[in-house]
Amino acid sequence: MKRLGFTKIAKAILVAMITLIFLIPSVYATDKPEKITVVYGGSSWLGHYPAWVGMEKGTFKKRGLGVLFQRFYASSGRMGALVAGDLDFASTGSISGIALMASGIKTFYAFGTQDSYATVEGIVAKEEIKSIKDLKGKKLAVTFASSAHVLALDILEQNGLEPVKDVMLINLKVSEMPAAFKTGEVDACALWTPMFNKLLRMKGAHLLLDDTQFSLFKKYGLGPGPDLLVVRKEFIEKYPNTTKAFLEGYFEAVELLKNSPKECAEVLVKLTNLTMEEQMGVLKDIQWYGFAKQRELMDKPGSFVEGMQKLADFLVKHKQIDKAPAVKEWVNTAILK
Amino acid sequence: MRGKKSQVTRYAYISVASFVLIMVLWEAFCRLGFIEPIFLPSPSQIFSRALKMYDQGTLFLHVIASTRRVMVGFMVSSLVAIPVGLFLGSSRFFKAIFDPVISLLRPLPSMSWIPISLLWLGISETQKYSIVFMGSFAPSLLYIIESTRNIDPILIRAAENLGATKRDVIKEVILPGAMPQIIAGLKVMLGIAWTCIISAELVAAQEGLGFLIMNAKEYFQTDTIFLGMLLISLTVIIIDVTFRRIEGRLLPWTR
Repeated sequence: MKRLGFTKIAKAILVAMITLIFLIPSVYATDKPEKITVVYGGSSWLGHYPAWVGMEKGTFKKRGLGVLFQRFYASSGRMGALVAGDLDFASTGSISGIALMASGIKTFYAFGTQDSYATVEGIVAKEEIKSIKDLKGKKLAVTFASSAHVLALDILEQNGLEPVKDVMLINLKVSEMPAAFKTGEVDACALWTPMFNKLLRMKGAHLLLDDTQFSLFKKYGLGPGPDLLVVRKEFIEKYPNTTKAFLEGYFEAVELLKNSPKECAEVLVKLTNLTMEEQMGVLKDIQWYGFAKQRELMDKPGSFVEGMQKLADFLVKHKQIDKAPAVKEWVNTAILK
Repeated sequence: MRGKKSQVTRYAYISVASFVLIMVLWEAFCRLGFIEPIFLPSPSQIFSRALKMYDQGTLFLHVIASTRRVMVGFMVSSLVAIPVGLFLGSSRFFKAIFDPVISLLRPLPSMSWIPISLLWLGISETQKYSIVFMGSFAPSLLYIIESTRNIDPILIRAAENLGATKRDVIKEVILPGAMPQIIAGLKVMLGIAWTCIISAELVAAQEGLGFLIMNAKEYFQTDTIFLGMLLISLTVIIIDVTFRRIEGRLLPWTR
């Protein structure tokens, strides 16, 4: 009997141990990212600083994630790649986001906005152009379908000027503007950082206005192309732990940007090619929104989404898109829980 | 003769029927929701976009702007390529001199000329013409050289024996002999010139079919992209038919 009892106890211990061996890793595994590499769509624009800082400062790595930072010149290319399934997360200029929503595609979600900025985008003009009215009969370079384009259209409207009729808008990439400005082929340029800062340094150039003059900024504090964080719908359904880990790493980087800007600027200059001084200048003008702020902006009461809806209406008014999408339908804050 | 005519009519019916069938299937495929309109808009969606742009008065503005750019670039390219091609095709010595340069220019895509053309010509219309010119010049030149070299050497020797100078040979023998092939080649080159329009209108363009396509891409307006592509094809077809008529008048023996 005693021997039998001992055997039973030994067996029970053995079973318990085996169960434990299998249980411990499985409990641990529930938090482990299902996919270890996240593909992020970025560029040198300030909206991508958190992803870059996260990569450089190891906020993703410590959560077992590798982030592949894919660079795109324009938000439209980035959003196209997201829809095609080549990107998992991205930050986009909201004009592209709204345009994609207007096309009716439902394979992505908007879940946050990481920053609010002013004075990092604007119109740089020749010294003799003192006011917007002086732009009449002049050539203004803008990248069509960009936030700077929206800014230019709005500013002209505020000043009673019409594009084409009063001011010739020249469709140029931001990178091509300094050369066109230098040779005198354009009289002013509407552009954003980092090229905005570079053009301001050029001889004979001065700041005509910045994005604080945008009508929606005056009313709602919303810039002409606020940044929007987006994710592929299929990705969050398939990889909830990876999504969680990425968001934790991302917003930890946002906190770093808030609290240690100098430390962040040291790694950001590799992305932007700005000097430390210029980089610090850009960082100074950005207000970063952390994890806690996201639901308030996107959901309750959702002032950012309201502003986005106004921007969509603005784009329809200026014939940039056919109809305004109901932005709310693309917002998903469940992943922020 | 009558049998041949009825056969032509039959083939025309087949072409029309196949086109209609493709359109119907395409429309049905889209309407049944097999594919999102952002990836493939239906023909009716493209048509309604065309109507909208027609109402706004912008449809033909784009067609005219692109046609002007292509025609100017292509005409200048042809005007340079024809005499140079005839000359190089009839002189092995000069062809040997220019061969390395032509070989280097030939594989360059029109897009690769954008940065240089911007530096040299700025953002003017000339820059856009130059992109079409550079994209079509080297292939046109090679085609003309080959057309010239295909002339029967006996004809050239006969003319020379009769006392014709080098200039007379080019003018009286090579040019008329190579003309049908040159014109056939130019028709192909015109198509190539149209492929340069996207590159030509990539920088500082406010109108044109290339601009229309690239701008629509920024707003994910796939119907406008398809419309732009369709308009390029239709414009090329119309120009091609016009070209054939001119060819028929200039070279009646080729009909």
